[in-house]
Amino acid sequence: MTEKNEGSGAFAGRKLNRRDFLKMGGAGLAGAALLGTAGCGGGGSGSGKIIFTMGPDADGSIAELIKKFNKENKGSIEAIHREMPASSNGYYDKLRTEFQAGTSDISVVGTDVIWPKQFAPQNWTMDLSDRFPASEQEKFIPVTISVAEYDGGIYAVPWCSCPDAGLLYYRKDLLDESGISAPPETWGELEEMALQVSEEAGVQNGFVFQGSNYEGGVCNALEYIWTHGGDVLDANDNVVIDSPEAAAGLATYNRIVTSGAAPEAVANWTETESGANFYNGDSVFIRYWPSLYGGFGDPATSKIKPEQIGIAPIPVDKPGNPTYSCLGGWQMSIYANTEIEEDAWKFIEFMTSEESQKTRVIVGGYDPSRKALYDDPEVAEATPVVKLASDVLLKNVKSRPVTEYYGDMSLEMAEQFNSALKGDISPEEAVKTLQKSLGQIMEETQ
Amino acid sequence: MSVASASTEKKGRGWFKEEFGNPERRTAYYMVLPSLLIIVLVAFFPILYGIVLSLTDSTISGFGSFIGLENYTDLFQDSDFGEGLYNTVIFTVVSVALEFFIGLGIALAINRAFRGRGLVRAAVLVPWAFPTVIAAVMWRLMFQSQVGIVQYVAASLGIISEPILSSRTLLLIGVILVDVWKTTPFVALLLLAGLQTIPGEVYEAARVDGANWMQRFFRITLPLLKGAILVAVLFRTLDAYRVYDLFWVLGNRELQSLSTYVYEGVRISQLQFGPGNAAAVFIFMTAFLIALFFIRVLGMRTSVEEE
Repeated sequence: MTEKNEGSGAFAGRKLNRRDFLKMGGAGLAGAALLGTAGCGGGGSGSGKIIFTMGPDADGSIAELIKKFNKENKGSIEAIHREMPASSNGYYDKLRTEFQAGTSDISVVGTDVIWPKQFAPQNWTMDLSDRFPASEQEKFIPVTISVAEYDGGIYAVPWCSCPDAGLLYYRKDLLDESGISAPPETWGELEEMALQVSEEAGVQNGFVFQGSNYEGGVCNALEYIWTHGGDVLDANDNVVIDSPEAAAGLATYNRIVTSGAAPEAVANWTETESGANFYNGDSVFIRYWPSLYGGFGDPATSKIKPEQIGIAPIPVDKPGNPTYSCLGGWQMSIYANTEIEEDAWKFIEFMTSEESQKTRVIVGGYDPSRKALYDDPEVAEATPVVKLASDVLLKNVKSRPVTEYYGDMSLEMAEQFNSALKGDISPEEAVKTLQKSLGQIMEETQ
Repeated sequence: MSVASASTEKKGRGWFKEEFGNPERRTAYYMVLPSLLIIVLVAFFPILYGIVLSLTDSTISGFGSFIGLENYTDLFQDSDFGEGLYNTVIFTVVSVALEFFIGLGIALAINRAFRGRGLVRAAVLVPWAFPTVIAAVMWRLMFQSQVGIVQYVAASLGIISEPILSSRTLLLIGVILVDVWKTTPFVALLLLAGLQTIPGEVYEAARVDGANWMQRFFRITLPLLKGAILVAVLFRTLDAYRVYDLFWVLGNRELQSLSTYVYEGVRISQLQFGPGNAAAVFIFMTAFLIALFFIRVLGMRTSVEEE
């Protein structure tokens, strides 16, 4: 009896204690939750300013355009450029963190061409179909539009340096000295010329490119796969990389190094190393983006002058086959939760207009996304690379297999392509592994 | 901790009654409760949250439903994780062993009285003063094929034939050597502090008894240094086991460690969030076991009273 009483007494005590405990715990949690929401609310949009995110404005053309926009809209709208990391990966990371929190004050996002299809399914960016109709889309290079489409909508407007595309730059002066009159058409010719000219001219490397285990490596390797007739996804988004053509592409990718045409070190080179090598006069050929051209005129950057340079399309497997260049570049989207979408659209309209693009092309040396600018004499004079590369930029640019989970696909491809380049695995192994892992990722998409 | 819980179970209600039957003691419990709550909130909540997350199919954009250990089975089947685990274990064992032996040598050397000892002690610490990221960038440049001095020298001596940065084996050797370069001074410093607590008389007495230097080292120095050694090795082991910056920056995404795997899963990939979280829990658990091993099996003293 006593024992029972004691028991219940202890129980009562415990219950009281637990209730108090819960009360205090509950209060604490509520407090934490309040703090949390307060913190979120504070960061909300609605400042009235258009915050536009983009990488560093190295040439000042963004600042120039924004200044003009703010002057035209004085008193009503003001735009500011919020600088983001120059590296696409770092920029993407930052955006993702802000968008996940759902409280970003960004209104206009400068997006890499591989992002619109990744952002749209997350509802991070806005469908622009009403504002950016087909009649307007027609004025842009088609491939730059296709990468911004998702589920019947359009989520970005192509801007400058879009299309960015892989180009083959060569040293015209050295080729002439070796008695070669035309740039290589096939990978085999490139290999031979690289070996011959680098030896005759006493230049360290024949051919350099970006082979490291990263996004740029994916672009490089895809060009080999495409020009051999292979592909990653078919028209219905089925993974089709396990094909003899894709394997042949990777075999060429590897052979270009094993033959000595390209140095072994390209397997860990990015734009920085390969560009510097070519500017320094240490290589005969380089695969690079159009932005390389701007450096040739500047003696502080480059020992090589523009007149020593020729530009050709990416080589192919057999003569007559179509050439493909990997699409890169920047577009503009509106952040889905912005409160000033009208102003944001006005800003995008201004920035992507023919006039603004022309300014940016001339000041910064980028290539424009509007077709009309390719025939503009002022553009041609200010940025010869646009004229030189216009065939490639208008016709032969191909998008990476961008889908909702492209980020994961890219990680897989970067690793397998890099291993195949180094010869750690055979081309057949690489495409088999990718067939499986990309297949798994695509399953998640559907 | 385990002692306390064992006694709770043994005495059960009796213990509870004793603690909470007494109003004074009860008040005492109420008074420490806020502190306990803060500890729970700060220390245990994130861990528990991580564990819970790892048992669901959550993604970066939304909380998912419970899926049991699926993330863990995925994790152990992932060859990238296997590579990360392998690299991390090799890195930890080899680098800590090298750092310990070299560090002990340095500590013994600079423990003697000689002219300029202060200067040498300060100079030894220089590599340790570098932020790891800076050291990693610096060494990556030295390993690089165009301007890299290490690559140049090693290739001209015929030690290597391929670019260091292209080979994962060479990269792993590289990060081990950089880590040894960087943290040996830290180990040496800890051991030196330990050496200085050993009184000189002990050695004098041993000398009088006719002990030679080997006997003095193994019978006096090592046993008396055991505490300092365990602290140094435990710190270094846990540090090395969690290595991230050195692998990420020096390897430029090429070299996987456990921590870079977690980062890739949780921050870069859109689909590997679950396995990434599971890997984070795995690191936490295994690091905890390593610490436990040092404290329980090797008899490390965590506080003076416990003796």
